[in-house]
Amino acid sequence: MAHQAHAYHMVDPSPWPLTGAIAALLMTSGLAIWFHFHSTMLMTLGLVLTLLTMYQWWRDIIREGTFQGHHTPPVQKGLRYGMILFITSEVFFFLGFFWAFYHSSLAPTPELGGCWPPTGIIPLDPFEVPLLNTAVLLASGVTVTWAHHSIMEGERKQTIQSLALTILLGFYFTALQAMEYYEAPFTIADGVYGSTFFVATGFHGLHVIIGSTFLAVCLLRQIQYHFTSEHHFGFEAAAWYWHFVDVVWLFLYVSIYWWGS
Amino acid sequence: MILSVVWLTILSTKMYYKVSGVTGKLTGATAASAYSPQGLKGTVPSQAPPIIFAVPTKVVSETGSVAHYMGINKVPELQMIFQKTDGAPVHLKRGVMDKMLYRTMMGLTIGGTLYCLMALYIVAQPRKPQ
Repeated sequence: MAHQAHAYHMVDPSPWPLTGAIAALLMTSGLAIWFHFHSTMLMTLGLVLTLLTMYQWWRDIIREGTFQGHHTPPVQKGLRYGMILFITSEVFFFLGFFWAFYHSSLAPTPELGGCWPPTGIIPLDPFEVPLLNTAVLLASGVTVTWAHHSIMEGERKQTIQSLALTILLGFYFTALQAMEYYEAPFTIADGVYGSTFFVATGFHGLHVIIGSTFLAVCLLRQIQYHFTSEHHFGFEAAAWYWHFVDVVWLFLYVSIYWWGS
Repeated sequence: MILSVVWLTILSTKMYYKVSGVTGKLTGATAASAYSPQGLKGTVPSQAPPIIFAVPTKVVSETGSVAHYMGINKVPELQMIFQKTDGAPVHLKRGVMDKMLYRTMMGLTIGGTLYCLMALYIVAQPRKPQ
């Protein structure tokens, strides 16, 4: 058996980058076919392939790390850099939508009535459900930190309980936000107010769902004894992502819900 | 002068301290109580008291060494499976299930690519003028 003279991880050849790329092709072409020819077959196939690729790719990473021991300290450092860079790219993604919001709201055009919120728009009361949502996400930040400390102290039961509570709070946020969307007196088609509101909060909601899913996977792994008190980077990455989602919400709440009302 | 005498006395003798149960602050203590604090005195008798029940209670060590909260640890077993030197890449390491899933994926991928290229070719044709 060949032995490498370095601590880095040379991965086995894998088909998932190819299937992922094909899935992206199918999803985007499928989107165009759906828009113009009313058939969802191609897009659905693309979506299924994307989900299967993600499942198998990340399953393989867990196999390589937890079962084969490839995640040595230098490798873990690389994974940390990777996650930080990814979250940074997401920050820039949201920055764009905040730019759009401030561009339109700081100097409202005559077409809007020269004011913000524009004439005819009844904004949501920031001290009702949006404030509850803020409290829910802040509480989930506390519970995820509790979970982290429990992992580091080797407290299995507490880790499982606090992680489950974090996920439940995430679902509660999503449910509340869905209800707000349904009950809102304005839609995405209501001028630039509707566009900026629903695109920014909508993408945030999507990130909450992604973050909750990531935490749920961590919960399953914790139950199956994958994490040790010293080595649990998968959980740390999920916690970082969750804190990022929380911070984005705070900016959204202050800018769009509160100042923008 | 008096202060320096007091200071020298303090320096030359050892001081023992305890946390006062009344004020919660550090106060002076005797050497005896410092070396055998009340809290650490053995109050449990070294000999077990005689069993007074008819049926003796079960000893903890007989019930199993660890209380399994939500399942047992299967990681060592999985580590053995995935570290087998059979040359299989990690995405096929678990045998039949992996192979079936991989084949399904590849089938869908290649089939999907052909379907996509065909669909794009068809929609790229100009529509017949009405």
